[in-house]
Amino acid sequence: MVRKWFHIAKADFYVLTAGMRNHRRLYSAAFYALGIVWAIYGAPLLIGGFLNAIIPMSVIRTMLMTMFPGLMRSAMMVLWIMLLLFPMTKALEEIKIGHWEIFLSNNVKTRDILMGGFLGGLPLYGLVTLFLAPLVITPFILAFAVSLIGVALMYTVLILTVLTVLWISNFVTAAVQSKLGDSSRGNDIAKALSFVIAFVGILPMYGLMFAAPMMTEILGTDVFLLLPFTWSADVVSWIAITFNGIGLTESEVMLFGSILQLDLLVSTLLAGAFSVAVLGLTLGAAGRVFTITAGARTERITTVGRENFILRIIRKLTSDSFGALLVVNMKDYFRKAQNLSKMFYGVILAIVLPIMMTLFADYGSEMNLLDVISSFGMMFAMVGAFPFVGTGFLESKDQLWIIQSAPRGASRFVKSRLVMAAIADVFLTSIVAVTMTFVLGLGAVDALLLLGFGFVVVIGSSMVAIGVTARNPNYEDTKSPAHQANMMTAIMVPMVAMMGSIFLFIFLAVMDLDVVLESMIGLSGCQVLFALVGPAILLSVGSIFVISGIRSLSSPDA
Amino acid sequence: MTQNGICIKTETLCKNFDTVQAVRNLDLEVATGGRFGFLGPNGAGKTTTVRILSGLLKQTSGTAEVCGYNIDTQREEIKAITGLLPESPGLYSKLSAVEFLEFVGALNGRNGEALNRRIDSLLSMLGLEGRQNDLLESYSSGMKQKVLMASTLLHEPKLVFLDEPTSRLDPAASAIVKELILVLAEETETSFFICTHMTNFAEDVCDVIGILNKGELVTLGSPESIIDSAGTSDLEHAYLDIVGGRVDRKALLAWR
Repeated sequence: MVRKWFHIAKADFYVLTAGMRNHRRLYSAAFYALGIVWAIYGAPLLIGGFLNAIIPMSVIRTMLMTMFPGLMRSAMMVLWIMLLLFPMTKALEEIKIGHWEIFLSNNVKTRDILMGGFLGGLPLYGLVTLFLAPLVITPFILAFAVSLIGVALMYTVLILTVLTVLWISNFVTAAVQSKLGDSSRGNDIAKALSFVIAFVGILPMYGLMFAAPMMTEILGTDVFLLLPFTWSADVVSWIAITFNGIGLTESEVMLFGSILQLDLLVSTLLAGAFSVAVLGLTLGAAGRVFTITAGARTERITTVGRENFILRIIRKLTSDSFGALLVVNMKDYFRKAQNLSKMFYGVILAIVLPIMMTLFADYGSEMNLLDVISSFGMMFAMVGAFPFVGTGFLESKDQLWIIQSAPRGASRFVKSRLVMAAIADVFLTSIVAVTMTFVLGLGAVDALLLLGFGFVVVIGSSMVAIGVTARNPNYEDTKSPAHQANMMTAIMVPMVAMMGSIFLFIFLAVMDLDVVLESMIGLSGCQVLFALVGPAILLSVGSIFVISGIRSLSSPDA
Repeated sequence: MTQNGICIKTETLCKNFDTVQAVRNLDLEVATGGRFGFLGPNGAGKTTTVRILSGLLKQTSGTAEVCGYNIDTQREEIKAITGLLPESPGLYSKLSAVEFLEFVGALNGRNGEALNRRIDSLLSMLGLEGRQNDLLESYSSGMKQKVLMASTLLHEPKLVFLDEPTSRLDPAASAIVKELILVLAEETETSFFICTHMTNFAEDVCDVIGILNKGELVTLGSPESIIDSAGTSDLEHAYLDIVGGRVDRKALLAWR
């Protein structure tokens, strides 16, 4: 019998390990051996040694045991989010309909495709879990002095949970991909979804965390008991309690029972039934959900209409060819769902922290502008960097040839992108500044100053992002090292530049010049100066990156 | 812009990619107003040569002049008077054909009504007038090729590099491109440097043909002279004799 799923999994595994293809088996075995040694010996030795060096286990044992059930549920929730969203995000960045067409034309069943894809990705995510899980559960294994059988059972439950969540992620991703289809439009939507999906998953989790007490009151039961990750977390907790080596008394076990509410048997049955139900439902639905259709590819032909008033104003203001270049660049940029998604991502990242802190920690009261800038100033860097780094700059090398084949084409292209980014940055900065103003209760003058400060940081970050991408274009490839390097650089450089004021402050303090400066311009003057140093450095660094990017993009390939 | 009626002149032009010699000691002269066909198997070095001559790629050694401009020191001047049709379409998926052509026109410093009229004329001539405002993501590969062809000619270049201009076109569109090349060369003295695998197309359109094999120019002459010297009936057979591509029918079934 031909095990088609096995060959699909094997191909996926080969793709996953292409970087070490000469010693694939050796390296894989070595990594797993290392992971197992780490989980069984390394982590307990290291974490136990570390904990004992700070506080002896006998002192913190009670604290760890008290924390354990709650922390296990939180850790399992995080594990769920990570395993559900990360593979989905990665898979949506690269639609593989072409592969499926090959499978289906070779009479492979949809459940084989699902199973193959799932097993193909398993080695990587399994390895990540093997290295990360001990970090969370080892302190508790040590605190409860769990026996070897108990440890083995705890890891078994963890592994089964990982398998279940990965299977759900694999199924949902395949369904979404098959609906989007392999097309320019479908890829664009998929990439946009890959950014948005994090918030779609994380925001309800935040909501759950903060709204759980209220929902518990309404439902008359602990709302967490209705969620699947709680069941597997509680099974792990019960195993640690049951196989403890510290001689827990009956009353202590009953105390844990009152916290966990459901006993070991019920939790195990619920977790097991959930996994079986997921497997059965998804395999049953595979044939119906997993169908390749024209989808977003050809069903809709978009015809462009009349230009909007913003573009018409720009055309009127700039009547030369650069204006035309700017307008066309704006059309190309703002029509891509992935770019809008990245803007949304940057803005949400910038405003979610002040909102959360104000809503749940009463943080906003009695804040002045300088407090806001020192607390949230760096968040503006995200707003400027995210939308303009990596993808969305050039779609392909062939596009670059077209631009380069015009005289000073690359230079004019980058400059027009920069002006376009500046226009977009005005709107993005306004959204963030206005939100912060309302949430943190700033006055009108402070709001305007925040807007000005924010715009300088945002445009500086955009300059860094555009310059970095122009130096090393990664086109539409989100899996390339170039893309990872661009993302890292475009986020880190503005952050470090914004920290310039801290370095300046340390330097002045070391040289005993801070007192001199304060006597010259006063305390307020010093504060204002420190607030402006970061943006000034960022603008300078951004300019250097843009110039360097233009030169790099204009140079013929070596 | 030309020197003694020569628009391209290369001297021992070489290009290496690590250990691979893509172009070896290429000595070539192309006449102004001529239609030069550059033939050769996949990986022979045709596209690399075009990229070097159009200022997009640095050669490893040797030199060349394009329309009298040196490829090392006068790249911007070369770009201003040449047009390049790349091998594969690098179009903007979220722009319409009109918007993409406006983009290319703006890159070349053109805008306004004159540009718009030219765009309309070119799209109409290539049979895209009904779809000109649709986003390029919905175009077939042949339609994309037509848009690229229009973008190459938009700024009236003196020398046009065409890399596989008809590889994705249907016979009717190929015929239009063929006639377009002939009429532009005859009426406006536009020179063409055409990389192609299509020997029929090259035979019909080009007045001089160079055959490149493993980076080396192995044959140069008019289609007729190449056919005569190879002793074959047409350019395809002459080409196969020169680069070695004769098919052994028995070998085709050896894998069974």
